[in-house]
Amino acid sequence: MNAILELRNLKKFFDSPEGTVKAVDGVNLKVYQGETLGLVGESGCGKSTLVRAALRLIEPTKGEVLLRGEDVVKFDRKRLVEARGQMGLVFQDPHSSLNPRMTVAEILRRPIKIHDLCDSEEMTYNRIVELLETMGLSEEHMIRYPHELSGGQKQRVGVARALAVEPEILFLDEPTSALDVSVQTKILKLLRRTMDQLSLTYVFISHDINLIRTISDRIAVMYLGKIVEVGDTGEVFFNPLHPYTKGLFESVPLPDPEHRIEEVPLPGDVPSPVNPPPGCNFAPRCPKKIDRCEEEEPELGEHENGVQVACWVA
Amino acid sequence: MTNNGNTDRDENILEIEDLAVSFDTEEGEVEALDGVTFSARGKSVTGLIGETGCGKSVTGLTVLGLLDQNARIKRGKVIYKGEDLLDKSERELEKNFRGKEIAMIFQDPGSSLNPVFTVEEQITEAIKMYQNAGREKNRDLAVEMLEKVKLPDAVQLLRRYPHELSGGMKQRVMIAMMLSCNPSLLIADEPTTALDVSIQAQFIKVLREIKEELGTSILYITHDLAVISEICDRVSVMYAGRIVENLSVMELFHEPLHPYSRKLVHSVPGVETSLSDLEEIPGSVPRLINPPTGCRFHPRCEEKGENCSGEVPRLKRVGPDHEVACHKIEVQESEGSP
Repeated sequence: MNAILELRNLKKFFDSPEGTVKAVDGVNLKVYQGETLGLVGESGCGKSTLVRAALRLIEPTKGEVLLRGEDVVKFDRKRLVEARGQMGLVFQDPHSSLNPRMTVAEILRRPIKIHDLCDSEEMTYNRIVELLETMGLSEEHMIRYPHELSGGQKQRVGVARALAVEPEILFLDEPTSALDVSVQTKILKLLRRTMDQLSLTYVFISHDINLIRTISDRIAVMYLGKIVEVGDTGEVFFNPLHPYTKGLFESVPLPDPEHRIEEVPLPGDVPSPVNPPPGCNFAPRCPKKIDRCEEEEPELGEHENGVQVACWVA
Repeated sequence: MTNNGNTDRDENILEIEDLAVSFDTEEGEVEALDGVTFSARGKSVTGLIGETGCGKSVTGLTVLGLLDQNARIKRGKVIYKGEDLLDKSERELEKNFRGKEIAMIFQDPGSSLNPVFTVEEQITEAIKMYQNAGREKNRDLAVEMLEKVKLPDAVQLLRRYPHELSGGMKQRVMIAMMLSCNPSLLIADEPTTALDVSIQAQFIKVLREIKEELGTSILYITHDLAVISEICDRVSVMYAGRIVENLSVMELFHEPLHPYSRKLVHSVPGVETSLSDLEEIPGSVPRLINPPTGCRFHPRCEEKGENCSGEVPRLKRVGPDHEVACHKIEVQESEGSP
């Protein structure tokens, strides 16, 4: 399989009064053509920062972002705009990611104009209608302002805007977490259909692990700025190798009254990313740690089932 | 420590009957609650589930008399241990009920704690409301409460300010404050929504222990079905300001009767679900300024019949512990009906 996007040793550090925050700390990750890669982890683990660094919405501190083999980090302004035409982003909160003073048509016209995708006003108009229809909306929504739309409709406009530039990869950063469950399914199904129609690749970020399990082909688990486990969704859920992955999955309540979380699977809190512990970041909370875990940092290594895991004891 | 008063598991500690609350807004009257009827049992966890704007938080706030100025209680009763709280004056509520009998914790633990006071100052303030035993004793009690919610290094923690604590710790401090007043009923309004799953799992365990060890009844307000299945014994399903179904948690997941409850249960991904298994509900939640007539779910209901848009369905008893408000559900006349 071909990797459409590959992150190599990607790092993003922020300076803060307390010290350097290692938000993304050496991520290696491949995204394959046509897949849905689910990225999970708890708040502050660096999921959103990773996506923003990959798109160069914030400049990575170090590392490479290879889009079909070419390093986006080295691109000049002009080529970066081109590259961004191949990578779309849908934000979490549809209420704050749409400009309240623009109509839906204006919101969708902008990316088309910036990327110079339509030659005439008529083509642009038709393209906007087409985008709205892809997302289950219609021509009549063009003159609406965001406040006139429901949460689900707003998010569909958000996805339509990301699709306007005809991207190959769509990054979806918690696209349904601000929505009610009854509306969530509609968006998810629209996203799946659009993926098939337009041969898209998705990187889907969510803290909702049951959701990621349902929609992803592969899953990557992040903890304190690093990928700790990545592999086929079925494999990773059936047999989580990293103790953090196991604890995280066991912490998730299931919509099944016969299921109970008896013991606390992950005691303690996520440590601050300012001064991450030496060795494995997870060692202070890990039930299986050995001496080596506190001294030496584990690298992602491949196991027999094709799953990659960064753990000395797995 | 034992609990205030005695309420058995089978007895209702809280009975809300036909509660209707409106808000006056610039755009008009918002009928936030319109005939809410359900009860919470002693020593058990009752879930109140519904989507954004269905009125679940308003219900919790009404119980404690904490509604905003523009709210009007139009009808109904809030019977707590046999007394109607809606008849109580603000002074009576403050003196005899809030905190001591019924406590509430909110979604965002960060904004519920006062940033300029230490944990000790905040917990002892709550303790003093109930039993002021002097500084030393109050501190001992505060430590005891913090240990009860499994917070490590309780003595050191007393000197900390809220900004020094993580979200999960803050929420547990809130629980410790509330426990120090020893209430019989805890209303928890989306207490884990701002927390990560690992912290949520810790928190749910603490709540379960409180229920089992202290016998506190809990009214758990949430939009999260998975959390409901994890902690609740009984569930009341809300839609657009009304209760559509009251039932046990087992019945909710295995035999929900109201079309909305059924859709809701099937819209949540679980272990073995694929995307095509998930059901969607057409349309969106109605605005309550001008709510749909009859059954408020009828515009989105795939099973609606003729009288669904005309007549408001009443809650009908369909099982020993199961009520549903839907015209399409037949009731056997012999069972409990007048």
